[in-house]
Amino acid sequence: MVFSSLFFLCVFLPATLILYFIVKNRNVRNWILILASVFFYAWGEPVWVTVLLFSTFLDYYCALLAEKNRGQRRGKAAVAFAVAANLLILGFFKYWGFVAENINALLGTSIRASEVNMPIGISFYTFQLISYVVDVYRGESKAQKSPFKLLLYISLFPQLVAGPIVRYEDIAWEIDNRTITVKEFNYGVNRFIIGLGKKVIIANTAGEIAGNFLNTDYSRLPVLGAWFGITMFALQIYFDFSGYSDMAIGLGKMFGFTYKENFNYPYISKSATEFWRRWHISLGTFFRDYVYIPLGGNRKHHTRNLLLVWFLTGLWHGASWNFILWGIYFFVLIFIEKKGLLNLLNKLPALISRIYLLLAVLVGWVFFYHTDLGQAFRFLGIMFGINAASWSNGEVYIHFTNNAAFFVIAVVASTPFAKKVYESIRKRLRENLKGMYLLDGVLKSAVNIAILVVSIIFLVGQSYNPFLYFRF
Amino acid sequence: MKKLRYDTVAFLLIIALLGLANILNFNKPKISQLENRKLKERPKLTLSTLLSGDYFRDYEEYYSDTFILRDWMVKSSRDIRKAMSLGHSGVELIVTHEPGQVQEGSKGNNLTSSNGNSAGSDSVSGNTVSEDQTASGSIAGNAGNNTSDNGSSGTDSGHNGGENSNSGQEEPVKEFDENKNAGYWLVIDGKAVQLFKFNKEGMSYYSEVLNKYREKIGNDVNMYSLIAPTAGEFVKLKKYKGITDSQNDAIDFLRSKLDRSIKSVNVYDALNKHKDEYIYFKTDHHWTALGAYYAYAAFMELKGETPVPLEKYEERKIEGFLGSTYTKTLNKDLEKNPDTIYVYMPFTNYKYEMYYGKECKEAEIIDMSYAKGKDKYLVFLSSGGATWSVIKTDIHNGKKLLVMKDSFGNTLVPFLLPHYEEIYVVDSRFYSKYSAGKNIVEFIKDNGINEILFAHYMEDVNWKEFMEGVEKHLE
Repeated sequence: MVFSSLFFLCVFLPATLILYFIVKNRNVRNWILILASVFFYAWGEPVWVTVLLFSTFLDYYCALLAEKNRGQRRGKAAVAFAVAANLLILGFFKYWGFVAENINALLGTSIRASEVNMPIGISFYTFQLISYVVDVYRGESKAQKSPFKLLLYISLFPQLVAGPIVRYEDIAWEIDNRTITVKEFNYGVNRFIIGLGKKVIIANTAGEIAGNFLNTDYSRLPVLGAWFGITMFALQIYFDFSGYSDMAIGLGKMFGFTYKENFNYPYISKSATEFWRRWHISLGTFFRDYVYIPLGGNRKHHTRNLLLVWFLTGLWHGASWNFILWGIYFFVLIFIEKKGLLNLLNKLPALISRIYLLLAVLVGWVFFYHTDLGQAFRFLGIMFGINAASWSNGEVYIHFTNNAAFFVIAVVASTPFAKKVYESIRKRLRENLKGMYLLDGVLKSAVNIAILVVSIIFLVGQSYNPFLYFRF
Repeated sequence: MKKLRYDTVAFLLIIALLGLANILNFNKPKISQLENRKLKERPKLTLSTLLSGDYFRDYEEYYSDTFILRDWMVKSSRDIRKAMSLGHSGVELIVTHEPGQVQEGSKGNNLTSSNGNSAGSDSVSGNTVSEDQTASGSIAGNAGNNTSDNGSSGTDSGHNGGENSNSGQEEPVKEFDENKNAGYWLVIDGKAVQLFKFNKEGMSYYSEVLNKYREKIGNDVNMYSLIAPTAGEFVKLKKYKGITDSQNDAIDFLRSKLDRSIKSVNVYDALNKHKDEYIYFKTDHHWTALGAYYAYAAFMELKGETPVPLEKYEERKIEGFLGSTYTKTLNKDLEKNPDTIYVYMPFTNYKYEMYYGKECKEAEIIDMSYAKGKDKYLVFLSSGGATWSVIKTDIHNGKKLLVMKDSFGNTLVPFLLPHYEEIYVVDSRFYSKYSAGKNIVEFIKDNGINEILFAHYMEDVNWKEFMEGVEKHLE
C-alpha cells in the first residue's frame, strides 16, 4: 500500500487511528501497530512479507548474540553473518537479474535470471536491519529483548516502503515510553497533509508535464523541450520523495514516533557536496557511518572510500548501469570539489555556485531517469544542441505557457521562501495574540484543509499517480 | 496549545466520513457515463489472485473507481488543474496513450503517458496498473482490444450493439472506435483536433497491405483508397510550428507506394476547399456528414460520375452531441460548445442487413434511436458494428461495392446508395472468417463484388496494428 492512495487514506488510516486511540495500554497499542503494519505490507507483498519477518527474526537473534559476545569472535561472527545474510537476500531479489544479465552478456553464458519481482521497500528495511545489528555490536544501542518490538521498529508502516531509513537508537526509547501530546498529533497531521499535497498536487502534475518531453520520440525533441522536461522531472522527484518523507514523519508523529528529517531544501545548495547533505539525508548518513568511516574515511584510502560510497549509492537506487553511472558522476563532482573547486566557488558570488549546482543536478537526473544509457546520452546531447530537432517548437510553447504559473509555484515551493515569510510574520506578531490566532489557527488551518481536499480530489480525478521507488 | 487544531479535526473527519460513506454506499456504479468507460469491478478473492497481489491492486483500483462523488471530483480536478495554469495560452495540448501497447497506462481518461520508469513490468506502481481487459469491446477506448483479438470478441460486442439499438437503451455500446486513447490532441478555439505525427513504418505498411489485396483479389476488381485526414490539418496552427506533420505530404508518400492500379481519392483537396465549413465535429474526432459528403463527391469525380447534390437530401438535426474528444479530455471549452449532428436521410429504396455471425438483423441507414444515447454518432449506419453487412438498393446497375472501413466510413456509405446495386460493408475490427465463414478474398468472389473502397481515418492508416487487422482477413 502507498500513502497516496484513497484506500490508505480513507480506510486503512482511519481504522488504524481509531483502534490505536481507543486503547490506552502501550503494549496493546504496539501490537495494533505491528498487525496494522504487517497488513499494510502484505497488501502489496502478500508472499514476500515472509522475507520481512524472516530477516527481522534472524537479525533479532544475531543482535542478541552480538551483544552477549561483544568484542569476541562469536560476536563478530554473528554480526558478519547477519550483514551477509541481509545483503544476500537483498542481492538475490534486487541484483541477481542484473548480475546474471551482465555475466551472460560478457561470457555468452545463459544463466537464468530470477523472475521474482523485488519486494517493495526491501532496500529500506534491509539497511535498517543492518544498522541495528551493527549498532548493537558497536555498543551504540542495546539489543531489543522482544522480537516483536524489533518487528515494530522494522515494519512500522510510516517508514516501511519509501523511507526514511530510521536508526533503531532514534526510536528505541519511544517503543516503550512514548507519549502522544495533542501538540505533536497536530504537528503530525499538518506534516502529513503537506507531504500529501507535495506528492499529489505538485509531483504528479510535474511528472505529467515531464512525461510530455521525456517520454517521446527524441528525434523530434527540441533543446528547450529537453530542458523543460528534465527540470519538471527534477521537481517531480524532489516533491515526490520529500513528500513521502513528510508523510512518514507526520504519520510517525501521530503514533508517537519521531523520525529525523530526510530532506532540507536540496535545490538551494551551492555544491554537490552540500546537495548530498540535504538530499535523502538518511541514506547519506547510512553510507557515511557503515561504509565510509569504517573503511578509514578521509584518513586513509580517501579516494577509494569515496568512490566506493558513491558507487554503492548509485547501485542502491536500482540494479541498472544508469544508476551506477549516476553515483559515479557524483563521485567525480564531489572529488573535484574537494580538490579545490569548493574553494574557488566560495570566492565567487553565490549565484554562480547555485547555477553550477542546479546544472550538475539536472545532468545527473538525465542519467537517473533513463535506464537506457543510449537514450540518456542522446537526451543530454539534445540539451546541449547536439542532434536536436530544433531550438523550440509549438509543443514546448504550449506546455510552457500553460504551465508557467505552476512552474514558478513549484520552484518557489522547493525553497525555504514560504517558510521564511511565515516565520518573519510570526516574529512580528509575537505580542499580538489575535494576529497569531488568525495566522496559525485560521489561515494555516484553512490552507491545510484546502491542500487536503484538493489532494483527495486529485487522487480521484487525476489518474497519473506513479510510485517511483519500486527500484530502490 | 492543548486543543486539536481545526485542520486536525477536519482531517480526521474528512478521512473517516469519506471512508464511512464508501462503506455505506452499497450501490456502487459499474459504468462512468462521464468518462464513457467501464469502471473496475470488485475483484474476486481467490488464492492465486491473493498470492500474486492482483487482488489488492485490483481492489484499490475498484475502490478509487467507485469512490463516492467521483464524477464531481473528476470534473473538479479538471477545473483546479486548469486554474493552476494562470497565463494560459488558450490552447491545450493533450497526449493520450499509444494504442495497442500491452500496458494501457491506466484509467480511461488518462491523459498522459506514465513515467518511463514505471512503464515497464513493475507490479507495484500503485494506480498505474493497467486497465482490466474485460472492458474490451463494450466501451469506447478499447478499440485496441477489438483489433487485437478481432474475431469472436468483436462479433460479440457487435451483437450487443444490435440489441441495444432495438431496446433503445440509454447506453449505446460503442464497439468501434479508432480513438484508442492514442495520439496528440489540441483543444483550440472551442474544438478539439487530432494532430498527426508521420510514422513512416505504419504508412508504408498501409500501402503494403493494399498492394497485397490487389495481388490476391486480381485485376478485375477496381480498388480505391480514401483517407480521411485528422481535423488538425484544417485549423490554423502557424503559431505552433512543427506541432503537426503534413497529412497532404503523407498521402503523397502513400500514393508513390501504392500499386498503380489502386486509385487514391483526393480527399485532402476536397476538404481543404471547404475547410471553413462544419466538416469536422468540435467535440468528436469524426468528420461530419458534410465532410463525408465532400469526400464522397471527390470519389465520384475520380470515377467520372456525377455526385448527387446535397440539396436532394432531407436534412435532420441532432443537438447536444458531446463526442469522443470531450470524453477523453473533459475539457470545459468543449463542454460549453456541444456539436450538432446534421444527418441526410437517404432517398433511395434499400434493404440494410447487418450480420452478426450467422444471425441477420435488418437495420436503418440512419437510425435516429441512437440520437437519444450518449454517442450520437452511432446513428450513422446503425453503429456499423456488424461482422459484415450489405445494403441492397433498387438501382439495378450491376455495380457491387465492398467498403472496407472504420467508423469514418459510417458517414460516407449513406451517400453511396444512389450509385450501387449492392454495397457490402466490412469493418476489419469486427469481421472474422470464423463468423463470416470465409476470408475476404472468398467473400469478394462469392458476392460478385467488382469495386473495393478502402475508407479509413488517417490515424488508423498511420497505425500498424490496425492495418494488421485489415491484412489478416486475406488469410
